[in-house]
Amino acid sequence: MSEMSSHGIDISALGRDKRNLNLESESVAIQVNHLNLFYGHKQALFDVCMPISRQRVTAFIGPSGCGKSTLLRCFNRMNDLVDGCRIEGEINLDGHNIYRKGEDVTDLRRRVGMVFQKPNPFPKSIYENVIYGLRIQGIKQKRVLDETVEWALKGAALWDEVKDRLHESALGLSGGQQQRLVIARTIAVQPEVLLLDEPSSALDPISSLKVEELIYELKSKYTIVIVTHNMQQAARVSDYTAFMYMGKLIEYGDTDTLFTNPAKKQTEDYITGRYG
Amino acid sequence: MNKDSHTQHISQQFNTELEEVRSHLLAMGGLVEKQVNDAVNALIQADSGLAEQVRDIDDQINLMERNIDEECVRILARRQPAASDLRLIISISKSVIDLERIGDEATKIAKRAILLSEEGEAPRGYVEVRHIGEQVRKMVQEALDSFARFDAELALSVVQYDKNVDREYKTALRELATYMMEDPRSISRVLNVIWALRSLERIGDHARNIAQLVIYLIRGTDVRHMKMEEKRKEVEGILQDKA
Amino acid sequence: MSAKQKDLKTWFRSGAPWIWMNAGAVTIAVLMTLGLLSLIAVRGLGHFWPADVIEAEYRVPGQESRLIAGEVVEAEQVPRARLAASGLPVEAVGGEFMTRELLKVGNREIYGADFTWLIGEWLSNQQKPDGLVVLERREWGNFYGYPLALKENGQVVAEGAAIMPELLKRIERTNELIERLAILERGDIGHINHGLERLRLERRSLELKGRLDAAVEADLQARRAEWDIRYQALESQLTELHRELSRDSMTMRTTDGREQEIQVAKIVRAFQPNAMSLPAKLGHYFVKLWEFVSDEPREANTEGGVFPAIFGTVLMTLIMAVIVTPFGVVAAVYLREYAKQGWLTRVIRIAVNNLAGVPAIVYGVFGLGFFVYVLGGSIDRLFFPEALPAPTFGTPGLMWASVTLAILTLPVVIVATEEGLARIPRMIREGSLALGATKSETLWRVVIPMASPAMMTGLILAVARAAGEVAPLMLVGVVKLAPSLPLNGNYPYLHLDQKIMHLGFHIYDVGFQSPNVEAARPLVYATALLLVLVIALLNLSAVYIRNHLREKYKALDH
Repeated sequence: MSEMSSHGIDISALGRDKRNLNLESESVAIQVNHLNLFYGHKQALFDVCMPISRQRVTAFIGPSGCGKSTLLRCFNRMNDLVDGCRIEGEINLDGHNIYRKGEDVTDLRRRVGMVFQKPNPFPKSIYENVIYGLRIQGIKQKRVLDETVEWALKGAALWDEVKDRLHESALGLSGGQQQRLVIARTIAVQPEVLLLDEPSSALDPISSLKVEELIYELKSKYTIVIVTHNMQQAARVSDYTAFMYMGKLIEYGDTDTLFTNPAKKQTEDYITGRYG
Repeated sequence: MNKDSHTQHISQQFNTELEEVRSHLLAMGGLVEKQVNDAVNALIQADSGLAEQVRDIDDQINLMERNIDEECVRILARRQPAASDLRLIISISKSVIDLERIGDEATKIAKRAILLSEEGEAPRGYVEVRHIGEQVRKMVQEALDSFARFDAELALSVVQYDKNVDREYKTALRELATYMMEDPRSISRVLNVIWALRSLERIGDHARNIAQLVIYLIRGTDVRHMKMEEKRKEVEGILQDKA
Repeated sequence: MSAKQKDLKTWFRSGAPWIWMNAGAVTIAVLMTLGLLSLIAVRGLGHFWPADVIEAEYRVPGQESRLIAGEVVEAEQVPRARLAASGLPVEAVGGEFMTRELLKVGNREIYGADFTWLIGEWLSNQQKPDGLVVLERREWGNFYGYPLALKENGQVVAEGAAIMPELLKRIERTNELIERLAILERGDIGHINHGLERLRLERRSLELKGRLDAAVEADLQARRAEWDIRYQALESQLTELHRELSRDSMTMRTTDGREQEIQVAKIVRAFQPNAMSLPAKLGHYFVKLWEFVSDEPREANTEGGVFPAIFGTVLMTLIMAVIVTPFGVVAAVYLREYAKQGWLTRVIRIAVNNLAGVPAIVYGVFGLGFFVYVLGGSIDRLFFPEALPAPTFGTPGLMWASVTLAILTLPVVIVATEEGLARIPRMIREGSLALGATKSETLWRVVIPMASPAMMTGLILAVARAAGEVAPLMLVGVVKLAPSLPLNGNYPYLHLDQKIMHLGFHIYDVGFQSPNVEAARPLVYATALLLVLVIALLNLSAVYIRNHLREKYKALDH
């Protein structure tokens, strides 16, 4: 934590490891402005406004059906796939509204990668899984593909476990390995933002911890947004936490404060497990 | 944040556990309060029997401290409390240390009472002891009350009151020092009274600590080492958004 | 309530009767299937066994007795009264039933029919003479009798015991010659005829386009002359072969003493069933069996093999599969992936499902009316005007048979594929989309490969249905005897416009349209067995492919 141990005591290191995070002082990667989302006539998100900080982990928590996954899926326009889904307001990624006309959705999805609840490797080899996105982009040079596979798998902390069986089916991996493979597959296309939709809800606690560790390492390169049901997980991995309830953003702030002294009663009730 | 909030968890078991550890703390507080009261009385009335009782209770308090600590650890490990629950557990596990120290100080006073009853009464200082003792006892009581009622205002008044105690302690010290210079024969007996006063002053500090923990528990702000004005702002300022 | 009633009640409540009922139903189904298979297997496969030939005296009461020889094919008990009623001179006294035997006596040119019904009681002095020879002929069915002499160009070359070995040798020679003849006629001369026909069509085509001038005419003439020269060379070979073939002949005597001159070239094989040992009979059996599956039919399909029908069935089914798979898959992909899921889609889906229930003959009529006459006619006018008025595609043929079956089986493939597509987790699609793939990329790279086992299942069902279908095929391209295989060495190798033979139709034709019903009956069983085997084989290979795919894409099952 500190380099001063041999000479003396670094006073600042003695205190808590509080990073003095402050939303206002962060560089903004995604800015959500007055976002309303409707499924048919049912409104699922109500006037959500929030900045997502660059190279930080932002967690969305809230009860089931509160709209946190819906909000997450707005960031790479996955909601476009849902019939009858309508969006008002804007989401600016690096200053450009991703919902503007003529936005290249496939390019957006390459820039904003997503990892899902259940590991969903394709029924192909590990190698083919990792380079799937590159193949889509039409990259064919073997050298590029090989290198990508290696760094992506290393990046996902999976290389040592699978380097001898890259050409075996990805379905032979364990659940945790599959999820890390999916993360490798996602970072292989070098996205700016990683969206994780309950990435470890289908995993055992140890695999889950490995994924969390991975998230911690990845945040130096990527802006990460994670949706989780597991509040402890949100508390462990995130720098900022947003609490959502009934489609509204109730409270958004640094994780330390939110988990020790939330400003809103609804947040308090949710994270302490009270009747809502 | 009110005193019923920890009875509203979805897990009834969790409610029970929190309620138990809180009531254990208050019970311990009650015992400590009585100990302080008895110690002061034993000193003033030179009642060595009462003083013995105070010393005996201390074992019981130590045991209670250990039990409450265990409960806190268990809840932390098994429930991973967050927000107000987390603050409650942290406050309890810290308060328990202060309470135990208060108990220790009361025991020290009881020891002085026993010494004084053997060596003969001190010529001076009882008035101060009675006065400060009364104030300190009230502080302890109010600190515990604020804990029981989740009353930040009351806790803040306890913190404030500690300044008075400190001031009066200094005044008493000065007086007794003058007296000792005038009558060197009484030094050892007066010193016993000074030790007792010092213990009372320490008890006041511990009561203040508890009151600050109560503020932390209720407001979520660590008011230690803040200026009094800031503390007041913290207590009152946030008062508005927490309905 | 008595103890017994209580027992019964607990027995019912235990669910045991339910299990018994289900197991019973399954048992009945299995037994019926096995029974059917064994029936057609026994009846069909028994046909190829060289049965003993009996020789006996047959005396109809009131007539002179005569010697008669043949194979007992069937025997049944018939009420005496019925026989009397049919005009037979049956004695009034005796048991209530009499035996009636069906004897295959062969020698059609003498007796008029191969089979004859005899009354068992009137047969006497039954023997199985070793010397009796059965001749299997290319025409006129079997001949049963005793060889008298073997002749070469009219000169006797062998008599008595020496005949058989010499005969076998000469049969082998003629068989070889016939094979060469067949190669010559089918292959080389067929090639020339094909060439000449194309030349004719080319000329007609040019004529229709009005580009037929003297130069072209001369060129065509020269090319025709070329073909003619080649034909002449072959023709002399042909005459030579025919002369060679007619060299040998033999004289046979029937049991009742009539003599018959028989060309050796007409004999497929000769054997003495009563003198054959078991291994010899076994050998004979398998030769016959092989002949059945590998040879062409003779004698209005009642003899020889069914190879063209097997070939036709398999080829047609394969072409059908090639047509129906892409169509069905594309339709299912559209319905499931692209179409807006509204009432219209639902109606289409219901319509597709109902299509599967339309009687097959309706498809046949549709195929004939629309494909053959409308589509085929248009194709002929557009692309093959030179052949008119002879139709090319405007007549029933392999392609229309396959297309009609493809339409017939389309619903199966669509439904199965849709089911497969629906079973692919949304997660997998989203995983691909989230990597920047478009919808079609996702479909091609992930979804369709994963749905391929389901598609194979659909194909298996389609093949099972198509291969066994007969009714529509009679209208759109299957005939009882096709002149040549639809796949051969003449350009364009695969002749989609040709008519084909089909096992199912073969069964119908041989069983019910044949002039020689008795002779054909075992063949019906054998062909049915073969059809079942062909379908099973097609299915098993599809199942194998499907299981392989399933193993590869087993992600679905977690």
